[in-house]
Amino acid sequence: MKEQPVPERLQISPFLVFYLVMSMQIGIGVLGYQRIIAMDAGYDAWISILFAGACIHVIVWMIYKIGDTVGGDIVTAHKYVVGNFLGKALCFIFIGYFILYSLTVVRTFIEVIQVWMFPELSTFWFSFGFMILCVYIIFGGFRTVVGTAFFGLVLPAYLLLTFGWAIKFSNFYNLLPIWDHSIKELLTASYHMSLTFIGFEIILFFYPFIKEPKKSQKWAHLAVLTTTLIYTILAIITFAYFSEDQLAKQIWASLTMWKIVEMPFVERFEYIGIANWNLIILPNVCISIWIASRLIKRVFNIRQKVGVFFVVAAVLSVIHFLDTREKINMLNNYVGKMGFAFTFLYIPLLFAAVMIAKKLKKGKKK
Amino acid sequence: MPSIHKFSKTGNNKRNAENDGDFPMRNWLKNKRIKEDIQHKDWEKSLIKSKDFKKIFYYNQKTNVRFGLTFMATLIDENIIQDGVLPNLLEEEFREIEDIKQLVPVADVQICDDPSLIEQKLLNGYVMLTIETELKHFGFIAAQKEIVRGLSQPEVEFSVIGPKEAFVESMGQNLNLIRKRLPVKELIIEEFKLGSLSKTAVAMLYMEDITNEDNVNTVRQRLTNVKFDAITDSSYIVQLISDNSNSPFPQLLDTERPDRVAGILAEGKIAIVVDGSPHVLITPTTLVEFFSSFEDYFLNWILSSFFRLIRLFAVAFSILITPIYVATLSYHYELIPKDLLSTLITSRREIPLPPILEALFLELTIELLREAGARLPTKVGQTIGIVGGIVIGTASVEAGLTSNVLLIIVALAALASFTTPVYRMGNTIRLLRFPFLFFAELWGLLGIVFCFCVLLTHLIRLTSLGRPFLEPLYPPRVMDMKDALIRLPFEKQSKRPIFLRTKNPIRFSRKKAKEKKDIDE
Repeated sequence: MKEQPVPERLQISPFLVFYLVMSMQIGIGVLGYQRIIAMDAGYDAWISILFAGACIHVIVWMIYKIGDTVGGDIVTAHKYVVGNFLGKALCFIFIGYFILYSLTVVRTFIEVIQVWMFPELSTFWFSFGFMILCVYIIFGGFRTVVGTAFFGLVLPAYLLLTFGWAIKFSNFYNLLPIWDHSIKELLTASYHMSLTFIGFEIILFFYPFIKEPKKSQKWAHLAVLTTTLIYTILAIITFAYFSEDQLAKQIWASLTMWKIVEMPFVERFEYIGIANWNLIILPNVCISIWIASRLIKRVFNIRQKVGVFFVVAAVLSVIHFLDTREKINMLNNYVGKMGFAFTFLYIPLLFAAVMIAKKLKKGKKK
Repeated sequence: MPSIHKFSKTGNNKRNAENDGDFPMRNWLKNKRIKEDIQHKDWEKSLIKSKDFKKIFYYNQKTNVRFGLTFMATLIDENIIQDGVLPNLLEEEFREIEDIKQLVPVADVQICDDPSLIEQKLLNGYVMLTIETELKHFGFIAAQKEIVRGLSQPEVEFSVIGPKEAFVESMGQNLNLIRKRLPVKELIIEEFKLGSLSKTAVAMLYMEDITNEDNVNTVRQRLTNVKFDAITDSSYIVQLISDNSNSPFPQLLDTERPDRVAGILAEGKIAIVVDGSPHVLITPTTLVEFFSSFEDYFLNWILSSFFRLIRLFAVAFSILITPIYVATLSYHYELIPKDLLSTLITSRREIPLPPILEALFLELTIELLREAGARLPTKVGQTIGIVGGIVIGTASVEAGLTSNVLLIIVALAALASFTTPVYRMGNTIRLLRFPFLFFAELWGLLGIVFCFCVLLTHLIRLTSLGRPFLEPLYPPRVMDMKDALIRLPFEKQSKRPIFLRTKNPIRFSRKKAKEKKDIDE
């Protein structure tokens, strides 16, 4: 069965992949990844960030190789390897993964709001409003989703500068001595860091929507590189700002750093930061709902609109029951592990399978 | 019209004309014609009820041919008939209908045999000419009365520098103003008649060798699909053909400046001129175009870029400042530094209302003032401004209903909203403040960002003629940035905007880069 190619007017320019990948990677994790990586590797953890970033480049390369070989998204890849029925069945897991992913992001963001801004904010009603907005965006098609990703990255970019205030109060000797942790500790930190990094795997799902996908590969790599650098710099600033014992108590270290920002007309900058984070979270949720609904469409052959409503209903019906820190933390851990398994184990596996299948098919033709 | 009567040899009324038919042959012909097409008679039956319907018969002096003129007296210019048409028809040799092409010194003379056209032609200001001997054919002589308002200065898009001509209500005049500025054969003017009752003439203008074919076809398609009875202004067309009629944003730019229209035609856009409207529509447009005044092109690029940025800042300020006030004072007073906070608290200490009601009260006052001022004659309007601005403002502060600080903020926001060069966009911006206020009260700063996300999504989804409305911001196109948020010098503008997909993207070939000169050479 030949699949319908995506019409050109719905496709996006290759360089937009940069914004898509970056905005999916940068999400709720940035607010507090520093503590988690410092737990294992101490203040050498920035090395782990660079290492994790380097590994991701390899995975991105694999993703493009898969996409190029099968000429389509992950569903096509599955069909290529294991056939139609089993391929679709495999995709079923990913529908669940992306629904869970959007749920986690929304719930964690609401938790941040509840802790820092509005303790009484109704989880359900805020997520309800958020989901309506997402539906509105996704109904505009993939181009609108990409537009949100673009603005969700460009407009809040100024927030990076605000971490500069922390430099004034930093002590960079905190980082010394370098490399006094074992390789194993550094690798564990890299593993934990990968949870903040995931998001680049979405290329595998919107591959057919890229105009001239080969040209977009360099943008994907550039996006990963930029994210790595941002994470590293932010981690170094954080390490210099907090002492190691202090950092161990900061769940959201980035937010705490904003407290030091002081301007003639604004204090307590974290309010503005959190409010702005709404814009950063939005593409995360939209892209994952879009992917989930797209997969539903591909697997069950129903309209994507129905899929969107299904996903949104699923998220809304569950979100109310995630009411304690422990539950949210557990959800985060599970989704993180799933994400790790998917990106760092499943994608290489799929890559190998596709390569073998390609060899076999070539052999058959001969 | 007594002046015409001096030429009339027989009765000047239709009923007289029928009564004097005493030749049996003529009667037979007449009856036959009536039987042939009832429709022909139908128009006469309804038109004769109108006072301005005239049907007059004359005899040619040389050939003695009897001919009749039928017209609507209110629509035609009697001078054309009296000085140009009648003397020739009466005095020169005139036998058959074909002769009028030589005899009548009017450019638009048509001969046809389709009686269904008669009604429309008469109501468009044509004079119908019939000859007794040739009943199947009739001639139409164009004699429309053109009432043209004198050219005046642009009022909405006034500029200190640059041309001072503005469009008027007459389409002929407006087209003249545009054609004069683009005297090339490539400028195409296509005409449509829209509106089942108003039969408004609507013209679509584009440059044949530049404008994208798809855009032209889309506009043509949408114009022909317009279903409405009376189109009295170009703003009807805006609402009828725009991509999303449920959006508060105008998706077609309207301008009263002929120079602007000439400029955008050269860029490869399409202009729509509507008869009876002093505003010409421009499509496709982008959001940033609504914030660029045409005066920007008359100033040096550094100045105009600066003013554009000021204007964009003013828009953001105008929409966001009152909601931010409400959000910070309702929820996030920790945001404000100590010194500033004490000022705010002093001004708000006596106020019994929560910030949202205070803000709504003042915002609505400003809206009322604007609405009242816009409907009243200028002089009364000024009084309203003084009464509203000074009396109500001061009084409400003194009465302790609103705080000084908010009064300043709201007044500044109102001022900023008037900096938008396009009036329609200014209206939209004033409306946008209210949902932002609502969300600011609901979720504080978070609500403002949330509302901003909704607005952003709406703008991303919006298209003008199928082209993205937010271009060049999204999809990001660096090449088109040269005339968006800032305006680069003209020598850098050698290419037409990408989003128009023009047939010929090169505006002019850029001269080779100037040779690098060393100091003192």
